[in-house]
Amino acid sequence: MKKAKKIIVKTALVFLLTMLSACGKKDVVEEKEETSQVIKIPVIFTVDPTTGKKNNYELAAAFNEAYEGKYYLDVSWVLETEEEYRQNLRRMNVTDTLPAIIYDVCTVPSFYKMMVEDERIENLTPYIESDPEWKEMIEPAVLKGCTYENGNIYLGPISTAAFTCSGMFWNEDLFRAAGIEEFPKTWSDFWKVCDKLDAKGIIPLALHTEGTGWAPMLISTASIADTDEGLAFMREVLPDTYDTKSGRKLVTNIQKLFQYTTKDAIHSDYDVAYSNFFTGTAAMIPNGYWMIDQVPEKWNDRVRFSAFPENTMVASPETFGWAIVSSYSDEIKEAAVEFLKFRTRFNKGEKENFFAKESNQTEGLYKDYMHAFESVERIVPNYQVKWNSILQEKTLGKALALTADNSISPDEFIDMMNESVIEYNKEQ
Amino acid sequence: MREKRKISGFQKKYLVYTLTLLFVALLFTSVGITGYMYKNQTSIITDKYAFYNEKAGISLDSLYHKTEEVTADCIVNNMVQGSLSSAGLSDVEKNSLSKYFAYMNLDDISEYCYVDNKKNVYTRSYTKLSYNTFSTSGFIDKLGDSYAKTIWFVSEDKLFGTNEKSLYIGRKVHSQNYAQKVGYLFIKMNPEFLKGLMDVDNSYSSDVATGIIDPDGYIVATSYPDSFELSKKAEDELRLAAAVEEAGPIVKNKSISGGKLFVYRQKESGFSFFTIIPDSTFYKGLNNLYKVLAIIYLVAIICAVLLSIYMSNMITRPIRVLNQAMEEFNGDDFGHIIELNTNTELDNIGKAYNELLDKIKSLLEEVKAQQKELRHGELNMLISQINPHFIYNTLDTIYMLARINKEETTMKMIQALSKYLRLSLSKGSEIVTLEDELENVKSYMQIQQIRNENLFTYSVGCDVDPKKTYILKLILQPIVENAIKYGFCDIYEGGKIDIKIWEESKMLVLSVYNSGKSIDEDKATLINSLKNKPILEGKTAILPNEKNGYGIYNVLTRLRLMYGEDIEFMFKPEEDGTSCIIKIPKESVRNEEG
Repeated sequence: MKKAKKIIVKTALVFLLTMLSACGKKDVVEEKEETSQVIKIPVIFTVDPTTGKKNNYELAAAFNEAYEGKYYLDVSWVLETEEEYRQNLRRMNVTDTLPAIIYDVCTVPSFYKMMVEDERIENLTPYIESDPEWKEMIEPAVLKGCTYENGNIYLGPISTAAFTCSGMFWNEDLFRAAGIEEFPKTWSDFWKVCDKLDAKGIIPLALHTEGTGWAPMLISTASIADTDEGLAFMREVLPDTYDTKSGRKLVTNIQKLFQYTTKDAIHSDYDVAYSNFFTGTAAMIPNGYWMIDQVPEKWNDRVRFSAFPENTMVASPETFGWAIVSSYSDEIKEAAVEFLKFRTRFNKGEKENFFAKESNQTEGLYKDYMHAFESVERIVPNYQVKWNSILQEKTLGKALALTADNSISPDEFIDMMNESVIEYNKEQ
Repeated sequence: MREKRKISGFQKKYLVYTLTLLFVALLFTSVGITGYMYKNQTSIITDKYAFYNEKAGISLDSLYHKTEEVTADCIVNNMVQGSLSSAGLSDVEKNSLSKYFAYMNLDDISEYCYVDNKKNVYTRSYTKLSYNTFSTSGFIDKLGDSYAKTIWFVSEDKLFGTNEKSLYIGRKVHSQNYAQKVGYLFIKMNPEFLKGLMDVDNSYSSDVATGIIDPDGYIVATSYPDSFELSKKAEDELRLAAAVEEAGPIVKNKSISGGKLFVYRQKESGFSFFTIIPDSTFYKGLNNLYKVLAIIYLVAIICAVLLSIYMSNMITRPIRVLNQAMEEFNGDDFGHIIELNTNTELDNIGKAYNELLDKIKSLLEEVKAQQKELRHGELNMLISQINPHFIYNTLDTIYMLARINKEETTMKMIQALSKYLRLSLSKGSEIVTLEDELENVKSYMQIQQIRNENLFTYSVGCDVDPKKTYILKLILQPIVENAIKYGFCDIYEGGKIDIKIWEESKMLVLSVYNSGKSIDEDKATLINSLKNKPILEGKTAILPNEKNGYGIYNVLTRLRLMYGEDIEFMFKPEEDGTSCIIKIPKESVRNEEG
């Protein structure tokens, strides 16, 4: 009987201990979520409001594919114009919410200067200098353009300037309707073409006044670079005065351009001009290589591309330089550097593929662009990287509208430009 | 008066074992249920408060981002940006800007101040704050190296003069366009600003301690249940747990002193929302379970006790009947018969008890009769042994008188009687030699021949050594007496008695034949069947009227008492008489010899 009692007691104890030990188990385990090894690089790319095209989509896809499992370009697609992007860039900067990679930094010199002086963007010189492969991929002109006045490189360069040039897109059907067979070779012919088109009731130019006045300013800055003096004027950084021969010629040409454009050009932005061109309202619109991809499919056979008269093209490769924001972690910044290098290589590959094709293999606008780029005699710097931000953001919009409306004279236009210089200098 | 019956004996044991078994079962059940429920309860509670803590943490995230958005709106505001430009603002614009901040889309703002890059201070209209006070407050240092991040920090109020510890939201204000000197924006928040987070859901917060701790380990806001007190040790553990650089739910279900800790760290501010589930909360849910279990167990125990009593009663009642009958049996009352109808083995036990009682009664009567006989025999023996010498002397005197008178017959008879009495009385021992036994029976027959002249003749043949063979005395005499009395009852002469003794198959055989009347077949069968019956039955069978057959009964009884049941005693009717054959195991005879 005692033995049986002992067995019962022992069994009970074992059971009890088992139950208690089971109770003691941590049913809730403290564990951390395994962090992903993939380093994400935040970036904002725009979606063109007019065409709906995702800019840089192929580049991002190629990078993410090439670096799958290691880096990931975490793109936020934002439907906005380039100008809106630039405005947001400044807002994001002062609110410390910039993505890791930003672009269009140098299109406003004061902003570029502020970003450098506040050490908001990373000095890429050590990376490029320590990486011969990367450096060799960059054309000297591009590298020079991306080098800041202190000798450092803050903008991750593309490989070539080949795809940075701007010229004129023109409607072949409208030209033919006006009896014009080819794009004018000289500026005097350009104005004659405008007259011919105008005489036929065709609006020659798709222009606008808002933003930095990209379309009219491209044509006008290209038009004054037909002389060495004009070219030198355009190469000048932050001119002290616009009251020069070239300046006057520039303003005169601007005034003249607005005689050949649509009425809705005043107080409208580039998207209105774009719309006017691709609806057949206007016969010409200036822009760069990048717009070839944005041409509606049905317009491919009707639109041609040419350099500005006198084989002139506008280009500043540094505007295509992308910067890395310094406030990010070293890990993300190194990943961003890797991306910029990839971009250079990607761009180099594009160029090699593009120019490796025989002319008979290239069709339409690409063939026109290849021909224009290969024939170009003058590259005029982009005014956006040379002139002060007040002029670009405040004065030009106002002055262009007034000029288009014939409300101000060329002298008054120049005065407004010079006032911007004074104001800008004050801010410095 | 009815006696109150106590629970005892088998029923008590049954009850004790049942209750023990029930106790063990309930103990295991309690442990199992408690363990399972505790585990389950713990899981439910921890999941619930993990969710709650994360929810509150996300609210903290939202709150931070709200302050970020609101301050961002301030930073990009045209007047704010204008205040940073070289031209600065006009007085009217400055006044407007001061009022602008009062309309920030943020609740629970206590005070604010914006200081532009020209040392202009913008506050509420009634707040007096000089640039000197601002610059010496040390608040600028609180913003650290951050370019324009929204910084939350807790500090004594050195700006607005209250000196109370409050939450501040600070941010550097840069120009969007130019590399100019920076401005500063600071907002002092009311305590309700963070308190609101702890009232996200009142159904959660009543059982747990919640609070917000800053990156330096200062507990900014709390909401504790009345019974809860955060110990120093727990506070240290909380600080240690919250002091990590990671963000989100950084601590889940960590055991600390007094409870379980959950921490959600807001990434940008470094502030953490924490929830402590006091240990009592885990047991709170179990109390109801214990109450329900207690009721269930009480009912189970009552049922078990009642059922045990009922079930055990079904078994123990007949046992008690048996027990009572046995206890009350005093050895005299054999008429107390047990009647059980339980349809169980107990019925057989009752039946066996009744049979046992009958058997005991029979045996007891037999023993009583034997004792009576024994006493009677002993009395006779005593009487017969009163004074054997006196009898012998008297017989000698009679013999002398007969001799003097020359009465030969009397002399022979006295000689024979003297021999007979010597063997019967003087020896004392029950075992005698066969020689003495034969001498005794011969003396008896001689006496009977004198009494009944010419009635019979006799012969004695012995094939064994009579001097070395020992048998029970007075075996043959009663048989011979019986033969003369009943065998020769119808004759007056010519009778014959033959006594033969021999060995046969390990038995000593004694045969007494008389040539008189044959014994009745029924009588012989009756006597022969007595061998396997109780001795008392033999008496009844042989001595129906207790007058005749006493000698035969005496011989048979004495033989069975001396030699056991292995002896044989039988009467055999012959054509011309009756034989009585006695067989005694030789081994018993030799033993006596030994």
